[in-house]
Amino acid sequence: MALLELDSVTKRFGGLLAVSNVSFSLDRGEILSMIGPNGAGKTTAFNCVTGLFPITSGQIRLDGVSISGLPPHRITKLGIARTFQNIRLFAFMTAVDNVMVGAHWWMKERVWDGAFQTKRARSEERSVQQRALSLLDQLGLSRYAGSYAREMPYGLQRKLEIARALATQPRLLLLDEPAAGLNSHEKVELMQLIARLRDEGLTILLIEHDMRLVMEVSHRIVVLDHGEKIAEGSPAEVRTNPRVIEAYLGTGASEATRSA
Amino acid sequence: MVKPTKGVLSIASIAALGVLAACGTTSTPTSSSAGATGIAGCHGTITVASDMPLTGGDATDGPFPAYAAQLAVTQANANKLMGGCTLKYISKDDSTVLKNGHDPAQGAANITALAADPTVMGVVGPFNSSVALSEIPVASRNHLALISPANTNPCLTAVVAVCSDPTIAINTASLYPGPHTYFRVIASDVQQSEIDAYVAYSVLKAHTIYVFDDQEAYGRGLALLFMKYYKADGGSVVGSVSLPGATTTFSTQLSVAQSKGAQAIFFGGTTGNGCGLVRRDMGSAGMNIPLLGGDGCEDQLFITNANSGAKTSEANGSYATSAPDVTKLASSATFFSQYAAAYASLPAPYNNGTKEPYTAYGYDAMNILLHAINSVLVGNGGQPPSSSQTFRDDVVAALRQTSYDGALGHTTFDANGDTTNTGFTLYKVTNGAWVGVNTYAVDTSGNVSVKS
Amino acid sequence: MSDQSGTPGAAPGGTGGRTGAVTLVDQGNLGPRTSEGSSFFGAVTPIFRFLYSLISKNFGALLLALIVLSIFGTFLQGGATLMGNQIKNALVLGAIYALVAIGYTMVYGIIELINFAHGDVFTVSGFYAIFIANTLHLNSLATSSFGGLLLALAIVFPLSMIAAGLTGMAIEFVAYRRLRDAPRLAPLITAIGVSFLIEGVMLVREGPDYVTTGQASWINGTAFTIGKVAVGYTDLFVVGTALLLMFALGAFVQRTRLGKAMRSTAQDRTAALLCGIDINRTISATFFIGSALAAAAAVIYSINYGDVKWNIGFRLGIIAFTAAVLGGIGNIVGAGVGGFLIGLIYVFGGSLIGGAWSEALIFAILVLILTFRPVGLFGVEVTTRA
Repeated sequence: MALLELDSVTKRFGGLLAVSNVSFSLDRGEILSMIGPNGAGKTTAFNCVTGLFPITSGQIRLDGVSISGLPPHRITKLGIARTFQNIRLFAFMTAVDNVMVGAHWWMKERVWDGAFQTKRARSEERSVQQRALSLLDQLGLSRYAGSYAREMPYGLQRKLEIARALATQPRLLLLDEPAAGLNSHEKVELMQLIARLRDEGLTILLIEHDMRLVMEVSHRIVVLDHGEKIAEGSPAEVRTNPRVIEAYLGTGASEATRSA
Repeated sequence: MVKPTKGVLSIASIAALGVLAACGTTSTPTSSSAGATGIAGCHGTITVASDMPLTGGDATDGPFPAYAAQLAVTQANANKLMGGCTLKYISKDDSTVLKNGHDPAQGAANITALAADPTVMGVVGPFNSSVALSEIPVASRNHLALISPANTNPCLTAVVAVCSDPTIAINTASLYPGPHTYFRVIASDVQQSEIDAYVAYSVLKAHTIYVFDDQEAYGRGLALLFMKYYKADGGSVVGSVSLPGATTTFSTQLSVAQSKGAQAIFFGGTTGNGCGLVRRDMGSAGMNIPLLGGDGCEDQLFITNANSGAKTSEANGSYATSAPDVTKLASSATFFSQYAAAYASLPAPYNNGTKEPYTAYGYDAMNILLHAINSVLVGNGGQPPSSSQTFRDDVVAALRQTSYDGALGHTTFDANGDTTNTGFTLYKVTNGAWVGVNTYAVDTSGNVSVKS
Repeated sequence: MSDQSGTPGAAPGGTGGRTGAVTLVDQGNLGPRTSEGSSFFGAVTPIFRFLYSLISKNFGALLLALIVLSIFGTFLQGGATLMGNQIKNALVLGAIYALVAIGYTMVYGIIELINFAHGDVFTVSGFYAIFIANTLHLNSLATSSFGGLLLALAIVFPLSMIAAGLTGMAIEFVAYRRLRDAPRLAPLITAIGVSFLIEGVMLVREGPDYVTTGQASWINGTAFTIGKVAVGYTDLFVVGTALLLMFALGAFVQRTRLGKAMRSTAQDRTAALLCGIDINRTISATFFIGSALAAAAAVIYSINYGDVKWNIGFRLGIIAFTAAVLGGIGNIVGAGVGGFLIGLIYVFGGSLIGGAWSEALIFAILVLILTFRPVGLFGVEVTTRA
């Protein structure tokens, strides 16, 4: 059974069809990329999956169970985590605190535990902090653990966002343009990271404009244009799909084909 | 206007006052033998009126003096005070639904309507100083006598130093476009503050004082007048402050007062605006000096507030001056029993005149008016003067000559129309209650003397 | 597109252009231009800009200098005793402002709402404290012995704080939650409505006059005397309790799971939501804690002053709000410090130039902060939500 299924998902804002009757599914351990020109509805689809936008019609299923209509924090608990196109870290919290916020939902500490600093609270806080520090360490962020997120270099902020998402113990990770603004060295690191996450069993849904990265890491690619799915298939299939080339004409099709 | 409050009075002191005041006749104006024969042939209609707030939020106060005034008219009719002439009475209500009580605009309209009736020779009212401000000019323009039972604002009758203060801002001269036709049977805050100054300097022996006021017309006026007279008495005001009624703590200013060596604190204002809280904070600051206030402070709430702080008996030793409780005057006893008899059928509390401090004031005001009319008739050969305006002018002139012994004691008016029947009792909190100490009177040149 | 044929009579015709030809571009004004206005303003504007930036950069230092000067002025005026007494008065007042200010700042931080009902929660808490103390006969307990006092405090504080916290949560649930994504003005108006509603209920239930709490006698006596300034146990209690609660709150927000949830929600609600944080519960918790601190302030007030009134929270609330703005609205530490600064300004301003000016002074400060330093003394520019 597929981990995530989008079944005829439609999202309408007033008269605008942002996502129109889109269906696709993700298997466990798969990396699926969503590509398409700007305004194709990719981020809207993310927002629908994570519950930020209620969908107009259709169904989104996780493990075969519908998650449409659930509030975002419940969906997070079910195992979907995400990053944002424009980084949304907690700017005035330290890196380690940012990651610990990701651990919020599964921590057992109750209000009174925290208020009275019970033994349980303290030991849990310690272990969660250890976990957060180790996440930072593995992503190469340990020297920034105590800095405010806003003080970190841009590339590292992207990584920190991924660390925070990982702290929520996801089964499915949604990455929204993780390579945007990264230099080539950082992009290589990102690719390695994505590969490692895949190897560790995480399922990944990726939005990305960098076609080299997309073609390299994706198992399959879904192409959206004007809210509609116009193609789906392996990188090789998508690359040669005439509709895809058409959709990209004038926006980056030539670049897409060149870099592929 | 601040009502004398219904604090617990010292029976001894008031009884003593009563003995003094009761030297006149009883309140029933049956002694109109003066010209009974001369006016028997009087013909025509004479109308008197009252204007009080009778409904809305003022329904607990205004009806009492109105009923008392009506009683005076009823008695005058029974005694043929106007001889053969018909004596009519009109009761006006200056309350509006809009204001849920007294409304100056309604008051002015009432007086305008009454003045248009050529038989109306005088009005008892109004109850509130704010209404008086709009009624006095109308009465003056129409030469109509207006006798208030309850207005205490000094600026209604005379320009005193405080009238131009922004919180009061009353141009007394502009109130009288015509002749001065306004009188009152209650003492004004000028007399009260003269007595307060005397008490502070000569009784409490405080030669330096710090003065608070509550930024309202009554409180600020009283404080300003107090400071003037206190300085005239030789005292030194070491500081003063106007704080809004919502002030919750006075410790900052009390620390200032303390550092300036104030020997007493004066509070011009009402308990609701902090009089008791000042006393409370004095306790917290450890200030063992007297607090003196006006009639706005003399109530049970003061004691509650003052005792609410760390020192639960802080109120003890606080002082306030207030109008004598007329129910304790021997001269008023007959009136109150007559009132009770006449209005036995009214629902409570209106069947008991002692439930409102101004009831007797309404009664005396109407009687004074009726006697003035009577004396005009007598002086005019038993007949009303030919023109209504002449009649009204004559009534005002007769009012100036008033020398009347009634429920309140002996009343005469000074040149401004203010009663000379002044008297304020100094109360002191003793064991959680206001107890009268002495009653003081002040003469027209400002000399204060112990009445009792 | 052709300009000759397509737009008949569109352009009024350039004065310097070819006569007769209809142009879209005003030909006469294509030359160089200057943006200068009158020479006077041109000369004066940089001075104003300089002054503005000078004041806004050094706002804290200027304010502090003003406070120190006024303390010194008070010393010159009334000597060390007056100065000491006023510092004591200022700290007592400031402690209460600080606790109330924290509630404003927490709520603003998390939902960007000026919760005008907060001052009234303070008032209601005062009445809760009276009810609790009277029902459980705490007044006699507290005055019986030191142990009894501690026990009474240990009862009245948590119970009032819980009751107030629940009140705050209820207000949020009923009045603000549905308006969370409405235009900013809508919940603000509701907040004012809730404030009036609470005041109305208090007025009817408790009457127009001060109500004696009976708690002023709980703590008595002079702890020590510096010079001629007697410092009472009550003064120590007020300031000490306030500081203790503020530090406890600071630690709570920094360390605990809920504290982190609150901070992250305040900084980016969507991101927090997607980290699995239940925003509604977090906001409820924020109202609970803010209101509980207002209740602590009310109990302290009640023990210090001994009476409460249906509308005392209104003015106190606005002054505390000013303290929150001074410290940087949304900033908890700032609100605490702001509370004490406002206490100092209120008392020393009132002492030096007359108490009638105290509140005018406070609101002048409010205007100055909003003009020169809208982020407050300690506020950092908070990123706007995307």
